[in-house]
Amino acid sequence: MPATTLKIFRFQPDATEEPQPYYQDFDLEHDDKITLLDAILRLQNEQDGTLAIRYSCRSAICGSCACRADGRTVLACMQQVEDLKARSGESTVQVDPIGNFRPIKDLIVDLTPFWEKFRSVKPYLIPDGPPPEKERIVAKEDMQRIVKEANCILCAACYSECNSLAADPDFVGPAAFAWGYRFAADVRDGERKERAKLYSGPHGVWDCTRCMFCNERCPKGVDPRDAIEKLGGIAFSEGVSWADGGARHAKAFLFSMRTGGKLNETLLVPFTNPLKAPLDAPFALRMLSKGKAPSPLPHKVKAHDEVVKLMKNVKETI
Amino acid sequence: MPVRRFAYYPGCVAEFSSKELNATTKALAPLIDVELVPMPKATCCGAGDIAEAKPNLYLTLNVRILSEAEEMGLDIMTICNVCTLNLRRANRLVKEDPKLLEAVNTELVKAGARPYEGGSEVTHLLWYLATEEGLSLLERQGPKGLNGLRVAPYYGCQLLRPSSVMGFEDPDRPQSLERLIVALGGEVADYEAKTKCCGFPIILAREQVALRESHVALSQARDAGADCMVTPCPLCHLAMDAYQRKAEAANATVYNMPVLHLPQLIGLALGIETSVMQFTRHMVPVDRVLAQVGAS
Repeated sequence: MPATTLKIFRFQPDATEEPQPYYQDFDLEHDDKITLLDAILRLQNEQDGTLAIRYSCRSAICGSCACRADGRTVLACMQQVEDLKARSGESTVQVDPIGNFRPIKDLIVDLTPFWEKFRSVKPYLIPDGPPPEKERIVAKEDMQRIVKEANCILCAACYSECNSLAADPDFVGPAAFAWGYRFAADVRDGERKERAKLYSGPHGVWDCTRCMFCNERCPKGVDPRDAIEKLGGIAFSEGVSWADGGARHAKAFLFSMRTGGKLNETLLVPFTNPLKAPLDAPFALRMLSKGKAPSPLPHKVKAHDEVVKLMKNVKETI
Repeated sequence: MPVRRFAYYPGCVAEFSSKELNATTKALAPLIDVELVPMPKATCCGAGDIAEAKPNLYLTLNVRILSEAEEMGLDIMTICNVCTLNLRRANRLVKEDPKLLEAVNTELVKAGARPYEGGSEVTHLLWYLATEEGLSLLERQGPKGLNGLRVAPYYGCQLLRPSSVMGFEDPDRPQSLERLIVALGGEVADYEAKTKCCGFPIILAREQVALRESHVALSQARDAGADCMVTPCPLCHLAMDAYQRKAEAANATVYNMPVLHLPQLIGLALGIETSVMQFTRHMVPVDRVLAQVGAS
């Protein structure tokens, strides 16, 4: 029977007046297929009844038991302890609460900001006009556009390791935007353009730093970063692409492509941040002195006419 | 060993603002039995920006690049995380979905471009060198070594994640840079944030947020006692090197951390002339690195 040391983050605010987080080691003998959640529940039952974790379904549906195992956010019910040890080569597994949240007790965190941001994207259908007499029929291909995002169980594994959130706690975040896309791209929804406006702007889709942690961590294959990218596409298709510097940054790429084929880096600043650009003159001069401000003329590739034709012909279907 | 030929896709940043990376890669290639064949028709990969604005256009443009390599009968070698992800992602999408490939090819043919048959692969210089075969190529050069230089490996994001597209190594415990550093006679300065984001994609639109991101890796590398940081990505390099003074001001601290492009670190160990590697184009001086390895 395998034996594992579980090094668990403890935080017991009701135990003392000035609670400090600490780690506690628990030794456990267990069968070789035990999940991390079952291991923690056994510790709770057999060794320390004060050990706290949030859980419900135990089968990767409810999204309650996300935590970090050896630094990587997982659903505890979906993760076998022996697989963690095989990956690290160690006999100890460290368990922490999910990141980017305030711990309340042991592995339980305060999810309030997560739910507030979830609500902020209006995660429900807003129909265009009165309901029809019978049901609305949705074609299979229309449903397939949003089927990945509809699988989100709001476990916050993506939120836990989002690098934009770590740097800006007000960033709306990957899960909420996956839901935003799920409704913005729903053919029954009547507020596609309003949603595009709502999701742009400060702390919105253009704040995503593309660290790809959300796609990597999502236990349900939702790929939230891809949803954020698609919301960018919706913003462009709805004409909501001038208001935010992030969208204008993308416009500089399109302009470079049309005029030469390669990125004209010198255009990025005036497109993205025209008002701030003059204030940044000292930095620009330092870049210039190191040869890091390339010619503003287009960088032309061979057969550029093909690129121009593609830009004219290729229709977006987002 | 026979020379391995690649369709060379340096990416826009290495071609223009970070020319030192391109120049060093070209100087390194013959030393590792690689011939880098130019791709005159290749455009920008869109860096995720075109994918974010016009997803179908992103896919078509990237497949056009893959098709040029296929026409040359070669796989693509990149030196940029972002180019690697964009090209590999497009390749995977069309290889997994014949109908999608057909739709993309219809557009390519209509524009006078060559259709793609799914016959090209995309690799990064780091991946080529961090295998047993790659390391033996370096060893054969009899490297003069890094003289115990303490190097902080910095992977950034898009060469590791999503692992379903990248897949070279465990995205949470990457070891390719570490293997190279040790093989070249350096020491690894390990730190947790080596796989975190540098913030570059939003550095123009959200500068303060981005500078808080780069702070995490820069401060940890400094605290790990690193003499320098090395990165396989020129965008990470811009965030960590060109914006380092700004990050210091924004976070009220000092890093004083020289940042090397991957081929520059290898070049130092193999004795490539420092003038060829153009360290003078760096914003943070690399003097202490050159002194440590005995390069002039």
